[in-house]
Amino acid sequence: MRFDRILFQVCRQTLGGIFLYAGLIKAQDVVAFAGSVANYQIPFLSYQLNYLVAASLPYIEMAAGLLLLINRQVRPAALLLGVLDIIFMVALVSVLIRGLDIDCGCFRPGGEGHTTAQVALLRDVGFLALAAVTFFQPSWKKP
Amino acid sequence: MNSVPWKSGLWRLVRNAVLIAILASALGLALNSRLLWKVLTGRAVVASQTSPERGAEVALPLPVELEEVRELLGGNALLIDARTRDAYLEGHLPGARSLPRGANDEQLEIFHRQVPPDRPLIIYCSGYGCPDSFVLAERLLADGYRDVRVYEGGLPEWADAGLPVERGQR
Repeated sequence: MRFDRILFQVCRQTLGGIFLYAGLIKAQDVVAFAGSVANYQIPFLSYQLNYLVAASLPYIEMAAGLLLLINRQVRPAALLLGVLDIIFMVALVSVLIRGLDIDCGCFRPGGEGHTTAQVALLRDVGFLALAAVTFFQPSWKKP
Repeated sequence: MNSVPWKSGLWRLVRNAVLIAILASALGLALNSRLLWKVLTGRAVVASQTSPERGAEVALPLPVELEEVRELLGGNALLIDARTRDAYLEGHLPGARSLPRGANDEQLEIFHRQVPPDRPLIIYCSGYGCPDSFVLAERLLADGYRDVRVYEGGLPEWADAGLPVERGQR
């Protein structure tokens, strides 16, 4: 197996595992996650819309993560996670600009662990790299 | 697959990605439909946490906006911080009294002794989506307080409006 194939496989499975986990953990407590979303104080997200986001976003993460893990629809799933990741990063940058001191709510909503926007942003850069490698794998062919 | 033009390949890719997102969202919304229905019809989080239905005439706390809060504070309304004690000490609305959502019977009894049931109460926590103020408001309504309101914007909205925040013990 060539190095770039191994790299691709590792990136695909790591990215899939991380997002499946992130989705699972948030899907279990939608109310708490809605609170995390509300903390971002995004102007066009009303109280009700926070809940709609909180109810659907974890399932998008789970679906894309699962598809990566089972090696199906790999490029669309990687594209989806890449776009999501960029949206998260925009939200985090706006948090930094507005000087809000909130937990990113990326994994365990309302948990004790406090992940700052800076740390979350760095982490998202890593995820974006994983998604890019998975998406742009040059020798990628359908099995 | 090599004969497929690059553009139509990309189009299919984007279409599949959108399809995955739509199907997954639909699943998530469907699985959470009961909660979402309560939120969209304005019954918010409280309904899922108070188990026995106590009849149709159960009083619900009134939501109030920032402007109304400021007007009410001109009267004799009492601000109540429903967050944890630590969060309260870090910063709260000026004049607010701490009564955490999870307050024990002793704390509530002291509160009842000091605050008459006809005093208007305004309860807040850490902004939209935080259930603490609703939960505490229902508890106080059930305990006989007649004018209980919830300020949903809470501390974040207050601070964002440039209004003063008080620190420490009171």
